[in-house]
Amino acid sequence: MKINTVFVERILTKFIKDELGKFHFKKAVLGLSGGLDSSVTAFLCAKAIGAENVLAIIMPYGESIKKDISDAKKVVKQLGINSKTIHINPMVDAYYSKYPIQNRVIKGNKMARERMSILYDFSSREKAMVIGTSNKTELLLGYGTIHGDMASGINPIGDLYKTQVRQLGKHLGIPEEILKKSPSAGFWPGQTDEKEIGIDYENIDNILYQIVDLRKQKKEVAAMGFSQKTIDRLVEMIKNSEFKRKLPLIPKISERTVGHDFLLPYDWGK
Amino acid sequence: MKIALAQISPILQDVRKNINRHLKLAEKAKKERADLIVFPELSLTGYTLQDLVPEAAINPNKDDSFDAFRLISKEISIVLGFVEEKGKGSFYNSAAFISGGEVLHIHRKVFLPTYGMFDEAKFFSQGKDISAFQTPFGKTGLLICYDFLNYGANYVLFSQGADIIIALSAAPGRGINENDAFASSHMWELMGETVSRFSTAFVIYCNRVGFEDGKSFAGGSFIYSPEGTAICRASYIDEDFLIEELDLSLLRKARQKLMYKRDNKPEVILKNLYRAVFKNED
Repeated sequence: MKINTVFVERILTKFIKDELGKFHFKKAVLGLSGGLDSSVTAFLCAKAIGAENVLAIIMPYGESIKKDISDAKKVVKQLGINSKTIHINPMVDAYYSKYPIQNRVIKGNKMARERMSILYDFSSREKAMVIGTSNKTELLLGYGTIHGDMASGINPIGDLYKTQVRQLGKHLGIPEEILKKSPSAGFWPGQTDEKEIGIDYENIDNILYQIVDLRKQKKEVAAMGFSQKTIDRLVEMIKNSEFKRKLPLIPKISERTVGHDFLLPYDWGK
Repeated sequence: MKIALAQISPILQDVRKNINRHLKLAEKAKKERADLIVFPELSLTGYTLQDLVPEAAINPNKDDSFDAFRLISKEISIVLGFVEEKGKGSFYNSAAFISGGEVLHIHRKVFLPTYGMFDEAKFFSQGKDISAFQTPFGKTGLLICYDFLNYGANYVLFSQGADIIIALSAAPGRGINENDAFASSHMWELMGETVSRFSTAFVIYCNRVGFEDGKSFAGGSFIYSPEGTAICRASYIDEDFLIEELDLSLLRKARQKLMYKRDNKPEVILKNLYRAVFKNED
């Protein structure tokens, strides 16, 4: 799973530059959480189109994860990109004061969509494309909020597993404390993906790589020494999150239907 | 002979703009005294056309799009890729060899990849012929992308006496590891080396670059000598324009050393292929 980080950086920065150009965007906007994925994406954007064309929006809820905010600001300073800090408490709290709920996941998803809504608002204001920050591991496992952090114009790191994003981050010069951070959806303090799934990312990625990239059967992966229970759990997560990776299903009734046999390229005329 | 490899990124479906780009590059190659310029697969249209295939199609006999190429081909031969409409409503992923003011040959892609990320057979008719033809530079065969990965297709050209095998390609890169290129680029080079040496023919491979719908075309166009040595290689993933002198006398030299052409037994191969096909001996 080792990658040539110089080559990958070349491809991804070229992709960002090309794709923005095709759609006549000069600028990019992204949500910066202080975590690894959005930091790496910010670095790639700055390299691709110049720091002055990148707007990073830091969107904390509450004062809970101060370390993340300061890490995000560190990235902004290091790259010299533009940034804004927008607290999402007023919008989220206004809603939940009327429709209260205790469930942290439901609330976390709402916050993710609040952030998405801000990013798309600034996309229009600034004529900047929204850049996604979802890695391959979380896309496969469905560890993201549909129409929340999973919404974007392009998603440069979407074919890199978390551990590969870390390799790339190291090469790009991401601050050590961000590289070492435990991946988290950030729904509540202390939440981490690894705690929830029960094994560390090295192993999660390795299992996914065997199944997805190398097309191994579950029993072959188990024979490599991974627990059958974990393998089953990960495959189940892939299965149950397929809906997040697709457009909404349309029942086909006409001769030619969006999402079925109306097949046009995204890059038409570009 | 002098050859130019135009490793470009066409604009998807904008045939007019792509034609202009081709003509400009042909002019450039001409100035550098090249005899032949080779473009990638579907170089006039881009690759990911899907339902746009009919809109991008050209009938080289009826359409005036080819007139400019015929004209300039009096001074420099051109190999390019396009969507060909045959009759009414049959569309092929085709390549044309244009030289001396006329279209010398059209190859229609035989092997249409339709698996995983590829869906060509959904949109194109399948070509049925693989033929080497005479050119000012020697007997030449055209193959398109996945055609070139079929050793039977290469064997046919070899048995027909091809001195030059030209493969036009729109191959997306896939597989990342510790190397400074896609894993798939290695596969093409392996085939280039093998086919050139065991056919004692020049292999000219022109791939495209650029992104279409997230696919990154891998570039890395190359030429191999009739002894299987690499003569040149273009950049991976970036546009490139190579001019290379080919010493055609290498064909004779290679065939004095490597006897594959002399010792080829197509009649034996044919007899046994016949059995495999018609006697169901899979």
